[in-house]
Amino acid sequence: MRIIGPDELVFGVDDIAACHDFLTDYGLIAGADGRYEALDGTAITIRERSDDTLPPPLRTASMLRQTIWGVEDQATLDAIEAELSTDRTVTRHADGTLTCIDDCGFEIAFRITRRRKLNLPAEMINSPGAAPGRAPNVIGANEDAEARPRTLSHIVYFTPDMEAMSKFYIQRLGFVVTDRFTNTGPFLRPQANLDHHVLFMIQTPEYMQGLEHLAFHMQGPTELMLAGSRMVKKGYESFWGPGRHKFGSNWFWYFNSPLATHVEYDADMDLHDGDWTERETAMSAEASQMFLFENVDKWSPGGGPPSDG
Amino acid sequence: MGDPATSAAPDTAARFLCRLSDIPDGQSRGFDPDGTGRDTMFVVRMGNTLFGYQNNCPHYDRARMAWKKDQYLNADGTRIQCAAHGALFRIEDGVCELGPCLGKTLARIPLLIRSGLVCIAQIADLTEPGDSPPTR
Repeated sequence: MRIIGPDELVFGVDDIAACHDFLTDYGLIAGADGRYEALDGTAITIRERSDDTLPPPLRTASMLRQTIWGVEDQATLDAIEAELSTDRTVTRHADGTLTCIDDCGFEIAFRITRRRKLNLPAEMINSPGAAPGRAPNVIGANEDAEARPRTLSHIVYFTPDMEAMSKFYIQRLGFVVTDRFTNTGPFLRPQANLDHHVLFMIQTPEYMQGLEHLAFHMQGPTELMLAGSRMVKKGYESFWGPGRHKFGSNWFWYFNSPLATHVEYDADMDLHDGDWTERETAMSAEASQMFLFENVDKWSPGGGPPSDG
Repeated sequence: MGDPATSAAPDTAARFLCRLSDIPDGQSRGFDPDGTGRDTMFVVRMGNTLFGYQNNCPHYDRARMAWKKDQYLNADGTRIQCAAHGALFRIEDGVCELGPCLGKTLARIPLLIRSGLVCIAQIADLTEPGDSPPTR
């Protein structure tokens, strides 16, 4: 099935103003109707938690109401409808969107993707022995760079039944396992996306069910550092990072958010195709990251010892 | 810092955080009394009563709780809210009522208010006569 990835995540939140500040400072572009878009049109949508047009909430602290998956074409939507209608109610809405509930009680939807095709430069570097990434006189350190999230990268669920949940996405929707943390969960990519993962899950008690984090792709490590540093400077709470994961190779920087989930910047994720053989290792701090740093206040060395001792 | 029974006099004194008037009623504020570079505790003001807790969600070790500097409460100010996964805690006793750390409790930091100054209470402070009673 030609599923591309998460197109939009819908939240019913406690504090609309706080979420607006957070999402716009994070770099998403505020649009109409509570939508906050990345450059390619993938989005977070926030509404008041009491809004009765929202799908029902989980019975936990999670504010996530719906995960909308983008697919390539109508044929994929038809195939999903046929497959999932065999054992649950699948509703087809006027705009063609399909909605239903997955095997762990998450509200999900499918629609033909609204992603706009991006044509943007990668982060370019100069590396001895390789052709220069930047021409002479092109500056790498641009403190004024916009640093906007390019596209919704991945989501990570807390799930009460990792086995049932992973089976649903793998067997019913054709997601592919790229790597696996033993007893934690698989990293999954759908068939129309080479990204190492668009979906990961962590087994938890039922009272924790929800969204552990969501992530948007940035241009590259430098833009990730720039965007994260700006968040810290504005007073936002860094949770984890910056660092670089092992599985997926993506750079990461996670922040707390008023959406009751961590929100991550990521950059430079591995791509995989059908030739890849999944790896498996036990989850640990060592296994989860190649290295980890923490932001500190800016400082610079001077020429000599302080004059006043 | 240090054990009040053995350290010098200054260490036994209550540690100043801010003036009571620095924390608006119904709001929260983070503090970094040890100069770590990150706020390690926070205070919630309800009327003239203050509640101090470590800035560490019982869900994960080292999980700081605000979504932005000083922002530790839910929208209507009735609960402490962890901005990692939305856990809600009662302000008065730090017990988690909803969220990943359901039933667990925030670690309390005893405070006292002296002449309008908010301090972390040390053991010696709690037995000194003539002070206002320690807040919770």
